[in-house]
Amino acid sequence: MLDRRQFLKLSTLAAGSLLLPAGLRHAIAADEAITVGVPLPMSGPFAANGKFGAMGAAMAVDEAGSVLGRKLAYLEIDTEGKPASAVRKVQEAMQQHGVRLFSGGILSSEALAMGKEVTKAGGVFITTAGADELTGAECNRGTFRWSVPTFGAIEQTVRPLIERLPNAKRWYTITPQYVFGDGLLNAAKNVFKEKGIEHVGNSYHSLTEKEFSGYLTNAIGAKPDVLLLLNFGAQSSDALRQAVSFGLKKRMTILVAWASGLEQFEALGPDIMDGVYFGAQYWHGIDAPFNRELVARVQARHRMNPNYAFASNYLTTRILIDALAKAGSHDGAAVAKAMEGMKYAGLTGDEEIRAADHQVIKNYYLLKGKPKSAMKDKDDYVDIVSSGRSFLSPEQAQCRMA
Amino acid sequence: MIYLFQLMNGIGLGMLYFLLAVGLSIVFGLLHFVNFAHGAFYLLGAYLTYDLIERGVDFWAALAIAPLMVGLLAAVTETLLLRRIYHLPHTFHILVTVGLALMVQELVILAWGPVGGNVAPPEALSGAVVLGEFVYPQYRLFVIGLTAVLALALWWLLEGTRLGALVRAGSESTEMVALLGVDIVRVNTAVFALGAGLAGLAGALAAPIRGVEPFMGVEALGIAFVVVVIGGMGSYVGALAAGLLVGVVQSLMTTLWPEGARLMIYLGMALVILTLPRGLFGRA
Repeated sequence: MLDRRQFLKLSTLAAGSLLLPAGLRHAIAADEAITVGVPLPMSGPFAANGKFGAMGAAMAVDEAGSVLGRKLAYLEIDTEGKPASAVRKVQEAMQQHGVRLFSGGILSSEALAMGKEVTKAGGVFITTAGADELTGAECNRGTFRWSVPTFGAIEQTVRPLIERLPNAKRWYTITPQYVFGDGLLNAAKNVFKEKGIEHVGNSYHSLTEKEFSGYLTNAIGAKPDVLLLLNFGAQSSDALRQAVSFGLKKRMTILVAWASGLEQFEALGPDIMDGVYFGAQYWHGIDAPFNRELVARVQARHRMNPNYAFASNYLTTRILIDALAKAGSHDGAAVAKAMEGMKYAGLTGDEEIRAADHQVIKNYYLLKGKPKSAMKDKDDYVDIVSSGRSFLSPEQAQCRMA
Repeated sequence: MIYLFQLMNGIGLGMLYFLLAVGLSIVFGLLHFVNFAHGAFYLLGAYLTYDLIERGVDFWAALAIAPLMVGLLAAVTETLLLRRIYHLPHTFHILVTVGLALMVQELVILAWGPVGGNVAPPEALSGAVVLGEFVYPQYRLFVIGLTAVLALALWWLLEGTRLGALVRAGSESTEMVALLGVDIVRVNTAVFALGAGLAGLAGALAAPIRGVEPFMGVEALGIAFVVVVIGGMGSYVGALAAGLLVGVVQSLMTTLWPEGARLMIYLGMALVILTLPRGLFGRA
């Protein structure tokens, strides 16, 4: 039996070893270095994305090593996927460590909150989150966004699929009921109207839903040619998995408009994905020079292919570092200025940061799941069907830069 | 027609909820022990099934092995840890079992990664039954059938056997049963292992429907508590009735008022607490 004294000793030891990595990270972020803050959900339901994202950001900082003659460092910040925690910890990083440059934020809510906070303090924040408002109605001086907003995601998935399936006239949608879901749904409805598609029904569900059999039964009743899933992450995986078990693949085409790429495909597996269409921001098989380089380097370093969270956070961190060099200063306003209009060889080909709303102009991809027998390696889940760029103008997106 | 299908769908869901909740209910009924680690046993059941199948074990074998392993693990945990805190107030039960649940969840992430995985239903049940314009997955039909059989077996175990009599007597008065020369400590361990094993089985059965991911235990625990509260703490019939009720309500609501499907479950629970504080079939 442990006595009290022993227990105390042991738990102090355990607590000490748990704190060690944080302490080390701290030491790297010494005063003379320029520190990039990396606020990501490292715990909670989105921890998987956060962990890969942090690996990507760390690799970008490591590779660059130094900038403007000063050492580069990064500070990992656990947002817990909650806007309140995210804001508090970002404030802490700014006040205690003087961090002004941030790359991170996976969930729309946390990204919107952090962007405002960092901008208030004269810093720069670049994110991969999805909400249209980031570079739309709530755009601001310090916030930049790499991923394609909902409009482009629908334009580059629904539109090409309608062209591929000219006989598929009836579409059914399943939508999570919040801003992001409605953004996708409205964009889809506009395309339906323009193309003469009959929207035979929509099921809204809550953000905590895990059981989709009821919604799928509604969908079957509406006899659609295409089922369009507008949820994301674990919810789209659950909805798709259950749709396949209901035999929907044999009755209709399924499109998941906003998939998260390799990390999601690993969880789904080829049996479910075969024949299903997916929209994605990134895929390691993209034929662009910079992406091929990155894939080779990640394979050499981590023995894996970069997934979406890894690649996108690598790139956003790298954009910050390049902008630092270009600005010749680590002052937030100067770095933001350098980023506006910046053109660079990106993961999806040549990319450009639009000055007016801070949106990165890049491709969105339509992918199609392939059968297990056709996979060339363990990550070869999909073929790229098509890709392209669709963006609302800054005025249409309602961005008024203050 | 669509309501008929939602009804059937709801029964399928409800049977899974029953399986999930009955273990929690029995453990509370006998041991007066609030087990927040119940979801963790469900999580382990699902992941062990996933792991066994990935290693090439047949689905049916995995379905039998995984819950047994979970039950065994629960017996060990009960003997080494939980037995020592039965006599403490419920807050301590919550403290220890929440900690246990978090540990299991983090261990699952360490062992199998944070991403989750897919479990294919067995070949023989991978299709769907077509009824007119509607379809229903064969696997879900199988789950309904199996849980119905299990429900009967469990009822017989609790109502018709000596062990069941001891369990029920123990839940009335532990001291009295112990005084009659029954090794109530062993009965307790067996009951706890049975409850956990049932959660493990629910996890194993749910894996081909839901896939596996490290946070599935938390969601399951929420549902299980709702079912137990509605049905009545410690009531077997209550768990069955409330499980079915929750499943059917949730399913029908997805057609009637989809946005409120989740809300209705918790609203229903609040209503039951207000009008019948002991639940539908709870004892005083």
